[in-house]
Amino acid sequence: MHVDVALFAHLAAFQPDGKGGRAPRSFELPDGTTIAEVIETLGLPDQPRVVFVNGRHAEEDAALHDGDRLAIFPPVAGG
Amino acid sequence: MRELLRVDMSSGTIERQPLPEAWARYGGRALTDAVIFSEVPADADPLGPDNVLVISPGLLGGTTAPNGGRISIGAKSPLTGGIKESNSGGQAAHALARNGIAAIVVTGKPADDGLYMLVIESGGEARLERVDDWKGLTNYALSDRIAEMRADDDRYATITIGPAGEMGARAAAIAVSDPKGYPNRFAGRGGLGAVMGSKGLKAVVVSDKGLGYLDHADKEAFNAAMKRFAAAMKEHAVSGQALPTYGTNVLTNILSEAGGLPTRNFSEGSFESADDIGGERQRDTILERGGNAQHGCHTGCVIQCSRYWVDKDGHYKTKGPEYETAWSMGADCGISDLDAIADLDRACGELGLDTIEMGATLAVYMDSGAIAFGDGSAALKALNAGLDDPEMRVIWDGAEATGIKFGVKRIPVVKHQALPAYDPRAVQGIGVTYATSTMGADHTAGYSVATNILKVGGYIDPLTSEGQAELSKNLQIATAMLDSLGFCIFVAFPVLDIPEAFAAIHEMAAAHTGDAWDVDALMQLGKETLTYERIFNQRAGFTAADDRLPEFFKTDALPPLDVVFTVSDEDLDSVYDFVPETAAAMGI
Repeated sequence: MHVDVALFAHLAAFQPDGKGGRAPRSFELPDGTTIAEVIETLGLPDQPRVVFVNGRHAEEDAALHDGDRLAIFPPVAGG
Repeated sequence: MRELLRVDMSSGTIERQPLPEAWARYGGRALTDAVIFSEVPADADPLGPDNVLVISPGLLGGTTAPNGGRISIGAKSPLTGGIKESNSGGQAAHALARNGIAAIVVTGKPADDGLYMLVIESGGEARLERVDDWKGLTNYALSDRIAEMRADDDRYATITIGPAGEMGARAAAIAVSDPKGYPNRFAGRGGLGAVMGSKGLKAVVVSDKGLGYLDHADKEAFNAAMKRFAAAMKEHAVSGQALPTYGTNVLTNILSEAGGLPTRNFSEGSFESADDIGGERQRDTILERGGNAQHGCHTGCVIQCSRYWVDKDGHYKTKGPEYETAWSMGADCGISDLDAIADLDRACGELGLDTIEMGATLAVYMDSGAIAFGDGSAALKALNAGLDDPEMRVIWDGAEATGIKFGVKRIPVVKHQALPAYDPRAVQGIGVTYATSTMGADHTAGYSVATNILKVGGYIDPLTSEGQAELSKNLQIATAMLDSLGFCIFVAFPVLDIPEAFAAIHEMAAAHTGDAWDVDALMQLGKETLTYERIFNQRAGFTAADDRLPEFFKTDALPPLDVVFTVSDEDLDSVYDFVPETAAAMGI
């Protein structure tokens, strides 16, 4: 299956191609891959983060589906 | 001793008065509210002689309390018709507090059309100077004229209005100078610049040359709590990392992702060009151009989320732009260029206008078809048009006035004030705050976005109605407390997650004042503040019908999540349930 993965703020540096930026990258993943597995593959730092799948908050143990967009943010706020 | 500096513009007299004992625990928003509640008839003309403009540092202003230098400016609002506290950073709060001034209380109105500057010298001697030839000056030019009058070695803060305030525009703002002297921090919301203008007050200059931080009742205890508080600010990922690095505009991408970034006048919730106007791109561009991408808006800030936008040649253009402005002038207007947004921000800074209200207004104007969404130069022309064209000055009166004049159906306002940068359909908790706040639609009044979207201070699903009223109520009470102590509300992010940081707040208040403060007392301060506001608004004619969002938020589904606002009226009406009991205890 294909999943688009977008990383934001300082997490953008963890895109596997090393080019940073917030543009999504298309990942080819085995069916049933969970968000946690993607996070482990990316090597994201062990700290709180905010995860969205298709614009909705998602738990990290949730399985991804073909065509999903996964977006991961470090803790951010402002206003 | 804290005192009120009473400035009567009718007679031109100035008087210092001890702060009444009943208000000894008040500063900032609580104090501006108490004065307005006591002295302004609820039916007063906001631009008439009976309105009162109150400028107050928080209870901890003038101390080393981290992020404790915010200032509250209050009056009856010409935009909402209710009570208003508009909050700003900048240097004025510390300068006033160091001079022993708990609040400047400006009353009356000059009999002639004279224009005045209030000068407060270091030590507190105050005078009014006639400045008629400054009529029409924009904020930056005015700042230069003031600088010419001050000694080179002076240290002072300015509080000023531009042409919009002089002309009585309902979206006119009040500028406060930042640590470098730029008039770029704003008490933006609610048209208080017009109140200042109606009183013939063009500028306030406060010198604190040679004055140090204030003494404490218990210096050792204060410093211990202050250090714990500062450590929490540094430790938390939001206040210690994301905000200093990317500024408030770090929010653009996450709100667009969550479908809650109002786009093209609240017709969509995600903006295809969000990343082009977001905080990451903003930081990269500022650094490429040699600008300053991290500093505090006032002395004593440990978060440092401010930054200066510089033009392509590296010259200062304006602050930020902050998230709210990047949204209002950006996504909401369909504009995808940070330079165009910065031009609009600077124009608002010069004219003295609220960037939130103006961006929302330009988006409404675009929705009328008069100019196209995305056209930055047409937007800038429309914004500046009011200077010469009285017909177009309606833009300066805000989104509602503009929407009515140009026949727009979708007008995003509550209590006549434009909604800020979060769509309440995708962030239901902030919808409760918009609907019920005494301020009109105001995100800062109870920032449910933290809990709904950012997972700071717990988590409540942004797309359900459950728990949102209780969340908003608690945040509104806590925020009113922080505004009264003089704290930047961004301290709430670590405070919500780190219990020791919360404790440090009442420890600092107790150690500074020598009075008893604990968690209950802090919450009581917040409740009393909101109670003054709520009752003033009731007397001014507001009812439950005013605590509602515009109908389209309940009927028009917001793409891409296709959601509507679902919090019930009953829930909205529960938010201020503490008022009768608090009012009875206060004896009002």
